[in-house]
Amino acid sequence: MNGYILKNARVIDPGRNIDSVGDIAVNAEGLFAEPGTLANPEVIDLQGKVIAPGFIDVHVHLRHPGNTLAETIGTGTAAAAAGGFTSIVAMPNTKPAADTVGAIELLHRLVSKEAVVRVLPCGCMTIGSAGEEMAPIGSLKSAGVVALSDDGKCIQDHALMRRIVEYAKAFNLPIMDHCEENKLAEGGVMHEGKWSVLLGMNGIPSAAEELIIARNIIFARQIDWKIHMQHVSTAGSVQLLRAARAEGVKVTGEATPHHLTLTDECIKKFDTNYKMNPPLRAEEDRLALIEGVADDTITVIATDHAPHTRTAKEVEFDYAPCGIIGLETAFPVCYTELVKKQVISLPRLIQKMTTGPAEVLGIEGYDMAPGKAADFVVLDPEAEYVIDKNTFKSKSRNTPFDGMRVSGKVMMTSVGGKIVYQA
Amino acid sequence: MQWTRKDLLSLYDLSAEEITYILDTAEEFKKVSERRVKKVPALRGKTVVNFFVEPSTRTRVSFELAEQRLSADIVNMQAQASSLLKGETLLDTVKNIEALQVDLVVMRHSAPGAQAFIARHLSCGVVNAGDGAHSHPTQALLDIFTIREKKGRIAGLNVTIVGDIIHSRVARSNIWGLLKLGANVTVAGPATMVPKEFESIGVRVCHNLKDALKDADVVNMLRIQRERQTAGFFPSTGEYAKFFGLNHDTMKYLKPDALVMHPGPINRDVELTGDIADGPNSVILEQVTNGLAIRMAVLYLVGCVKK
Amino acid sequence: MDNTPNLLCTAAVMHSAIRKLAGEIFKLIASSNGDCALVGIHQQGVPLAAQIRDVLKAEYNCTPNFGTLDISMYRDDIGNRSRLPLIRETSIPFDVNDKLIIMVDDVLSTGRSIRAALDALTDYGRPRLIRLAVLVDRGEPEFPIRADFVGLNLTVPADHKIRVVFDGDGGEPGIFDVQWPK
Repeated sequence: MNGYILKNARVIDPGRNIDSVGDIAVNAEGLFAEPGTLANPEVIDLQGKVIAPGFIDVHVHLRHPGNTLAETIGTGTAAAAAGGFTSIVAMPNTKPAADTVGAIELLHRLVSKEAVVRVLPCGCMTIGSAGEEMAPIGSLKSAGVVALSDDGKCIQDHALMRRIVEYAKAFNLPIMDHCEENKLAEGGVMHEGKWSVLLGMNGIPSAAEELIIARNIIFARQIDWKIHMQHVSTAGSVQLLRAARAEGVKVTGEATPHHLTLTDECIKKFDTNYKMNPPLRAEEDRLALIEGVADDTITVIATDHAPHTRTAKEVEFDYAPCGIIGLETAFPVCYTELVKKQVISLPRLIQKMTTGPAEVLGIEGYDMAPGKAADFVVLDPEAEYVIDKNTFKSKSRNTPFDGMRVSGKVMMTSVGGKIVYQA
Repeated sequence: MQWTRKDLLSLYDLSAEEITYILDTAEEFKKVSERRVKKVPALRGKTVVNFFVEPSTRTRVSFELAEQRLSADIVNMQAQASSLLKGETLLDTVKNIEALQVDLVVMRHSAPGAQAFIARHLSCGVVNAGDGAHSHPTQALLDIFTIREKKGRIAGLNVTIVGDIIHSRVARSNIWGLLKLGANVTVAGPATMVPKEFESIGVRVCHNLKDALKDADVVNMLRIQRERQTAGFFPSTGEYAKFFGLNHDTMKYLKPDALVMHPGPINRDVELTGDIADGPNSVILEQVTNGLAIRMAVLYLVGCVKK
Repeated sequence: MDNTPNLLCTAAVMHSAIRKLAGEIFKLIASSNGDCALVGIHQQGVPLAAQIRDVLKAEYNCTPNFGTLDISMYRDDIGNRSRLPLIRETSIPFDVNDKLIIMVDDVLSTGRSIRAALDALTDYGRPRLIRLAVLVDRGEPEFPIRADFVGLNLTVPADHKIRVVFDGDGGEPGIFDVQWPK
């Protein structure tokens, strides 16, 4: 192979502040190159398309090992590729949990066998994510984890949390926290508000999230270390985050496509594809999240891709597991709801799916400069289509976006110059 | 209008016209129980399964009797939600019931929306006999029927519902039905159990019994579950009765001809004193009688419509 | 398709048929020794029964008991209808035991309504004698049921319906031939 040149596309490279029509070259080593340096390259014309750095998702559940009926590293990374993601952070709440060096080594082995995109391991903060004893954070770092999280659970013991942040800082590992105060959230299956009251369902109050966000801000300020708030969902959380960031505290926040587009009212039909944690919140929360995305209080869009089998989800709402899949719908849903509706521009959406998450992970210079690994995505912003869950690469089908008419399609995904997905 | 629904899931789904249609139909069925032959062949040859995934005595007996008076064949099934969780899924269980060619499933379940969920997957009719704190449509219909029978109308009446509103399917169903028919609805009780969010749909929210009862034409006193006390919603049943119970003193705030209702079972001297429960304003036993007529009407309508 | 009702009988013909029915019913009542009652079957049997009652009173000074019967709960086509009409009032304000009951319906078509009406009525007690009076007999019942008193014998194609419009129903009174909408 002599490498190839992608011609005439709109190149959006937030890391280098580029947004112009031009050519992108990939050399035989799978690195970005200057177009003039390639001998006899293959030429692909991409007039009307957009080329951007590959998306990074800091919040993905691959279920492997533990629940391979719902997803595997093979199907999960294929879904990531189909969604334009070239790097994904694998949450550690597998079975067994990723709280030992052995678990991370197993993940590396499975990834080298099955994965089509880069899988970045995340380790537990506490053993078994039980919130009681600190996990072997230093060893996990040596084994290759890029961050720490007890995602799905939240450490309730504030003293323990404080020590973990201090300890993790010394190993240069960012914390990614699922913010939830258990006692307030106990028994809840949806947002506590007008709709939980009307439907007679147990609610999860906004305060359950906001209390822990406030705690984390206090620790991030005091310890001067990075705490990333996973799936921020309430207006109050956005406000806390905005104030803390203005002060220079090292906190970041992510929003999911579903929290940006759906609300608790969707639950009135009792469809378990609207059940997640944190729950879909009220319209005013959704609008506050959008505002937070627009003013860069929220710098990351992450999917919280959470596959569940049909059997698991086809039960009474109270008993259904939380979570939906999101890798294959994230870009079209966000493009349709955020860019088309002029909340943010396409380059800024791309920023929140590339440099924003890269910053959380401490990856510097995530861009398409010559010499960098050729991780990129080709998008067709004009393409309109209807989301059909039966076309998904993911093993699971638990999405509320099935049947939604969207604009913006992922046409091609490349990891290290190798085309791993093509529409 | 004409009836076309195969399921009765919630009064939220029904139009005012459909609710009135059920009430009108129930008037004729009420007469059946007053006849020498208390039985009609409306559901002859049809099979009804009473599937209770939450214990119930009153509602189950009322449904059973209604089914018998409609000449249906009846099967009773009881299950625990917890055992369903461990073994077969709810959907598999009801699909197995349907495979026996039953015509109607009357279901109670502790999880909100359980009936709506199974109704999406079944071709036979589904009647909601209570789903968690969400909905109990036949109870609300019998309450509204009783009010209409006594007061001659629903529109413009002041109806106050007192008690553990947040955990009550009876309250929610009454609220939807009464609002649709044009009543003024007030909910009242301790602030921990009566959330302000009800105001968003046009219900008055009171945390003071005196204000709530003033000018009420009807007061519906809901049962207080004692386990709410241990969960910290109120300090004691004594304090509850003192501030939110209906007694000789608080009765004074009501209109003299106000109806006193209770969905049962009553905690005497907690929600209301024994004297009031047995007194001239009380229509508590008539509610029970009317429940039979309402359930006959509902079963007739959803059972006789073409599936 | 033409759905315009086709006039079969004018109001005048209908009125004289009702008078004829009343006269024949009076003969039966006069010859029987005991209580009697007219029971109209909903929907159009009720106004017909009321008209017969009025003629009996005006011309024969005869005042039988009067009742109405809804047969919805007794029909044999339950589960075959995608829309259910409202159940109308059943009112039997007298003791049916040992009475002569004249059931009244507008049209005898299949006989199924009459079968249901017999079941409904006998759930109120044990009448001595039940007779059937109809304004129109279509002549082709699906059940072995015949009317005792017939105002008119009319024949229309099987897929047509005979609609009787009484004074006060709204619209031009008379008897019409209506094609069922397909």
